Amino acid sequence: MGMLSRMGIIVKAKMNRIMDSTEDPRETLDYSYEKQMEMLRNVKRGVVEMVTTKRRLELQAAKVRENIGKLDGQARKAVEMGREDLARLALERKQGAIAELEGLDQQVEGLELEQEKLTHAEQRLQAKVQAFRTKKEVIKAQYSAAQAQVRIGAALSGISEEMGDVSLAVERAENKTETLRAKAGAIDELVSTGVLDDPTSGKDSLDHQLEQVSASASVESELAAIRGSLPSAERKSLPEGQS
Amino acid sequence: MIVRILSEDQYDLPGKYVDDLNEIDNALVEVVEREDRDEFHRLLKKMLDLVREKGAAVPVDELVESDLVLPDRDLTLEEAEKLFVGEGLLPG
Repeated sequence: MGMLSRMGIIVKAKMNRIMDSTEDPRETLDYSYEKQMEMLRNVKRGVVEMVTTKRRLELQAAKVRENIGKLDGQARKAVEMGREDLARLALERKQGAIAELEGLDQQVEGLELEQEKLTHAEQRLQAKVQAFRTKKEVIKAQYSAAQAQVRIGAALSGISEEMGDVSLAVERAENKTETLRAKAGAIDELVSTGVLDDPTSGKDSLDHQLEQVSASASVESELAAIRGSLPSAERKSLPEGQS
Repeated sequence: MIVRILSEDQYDLPGKYVDDLNEIDNALVEVVEREDRDEFHRLLKKMLDLVREKGAAVPVDELVESDLVLPDRDLTLEEAEKLFVGEGLLPG
């Protein structure tokens, strides 16, 4: 069996699941319409969830971007202070952050495509539901139950297929959103446990180490200054004292 | 012949293209078996493009059932594999 017949079976199976036919075909019309409205709400909700997840990933990407700039600065500062070991550490972290950023950018892009598809599905379904409602009212007003049976066949299977399509799209989108939301959560956790640094939370250990280096450098120079200013010193060689 | 591309649109495709579609479909099955990713994406696109180019879009307010259903344009090789093995995508 080829791909085409497989896809057909899947969509049909979805359709049958959505549509439970009732005794009176005119009741089936109302029931189907209810289902359609429900599905429309589902798609709308799917779009909202997707947008929320996308924003969250974008925020994280912005943080990581900021972090990359900060690590760059730290590496520079460390080299100035002659601490190559700390510079190396900062640059290693920067590489990790760059990889992280690439992943996030790709995920945001993936969600954008998914969002575009869902929005399209929503608009299509909206139009189909509208058409169905018109047809339904005409059939209910003009035909007996037996006649209606014949009339509604095509409309009903047409709309059910649309719903089968949309529900597959929503499912796929939900799966993707779910995976990315879990990933976003994992990143948040890494940041909060300090494995990944959050530049917005202030100082990290690298900052701290750099501060210590710079503090001990000032201690040394102050010490030198004090030594230099003592009367027993052979010469007043302090830069500040020379003016 | 009415053809649906999942999460896209429905098209009215002249019957003479059915053979072309079947040919690509058969090739797709082989490609999925070989796990040839590039060829898979090329063939999938070829199949969808054939329908988009040769078919006429069904008006959005028309309610018709399709004779054929084509997969989503971003179907992955992994999803296609599952499709053929019959696990995962087939609702149980």
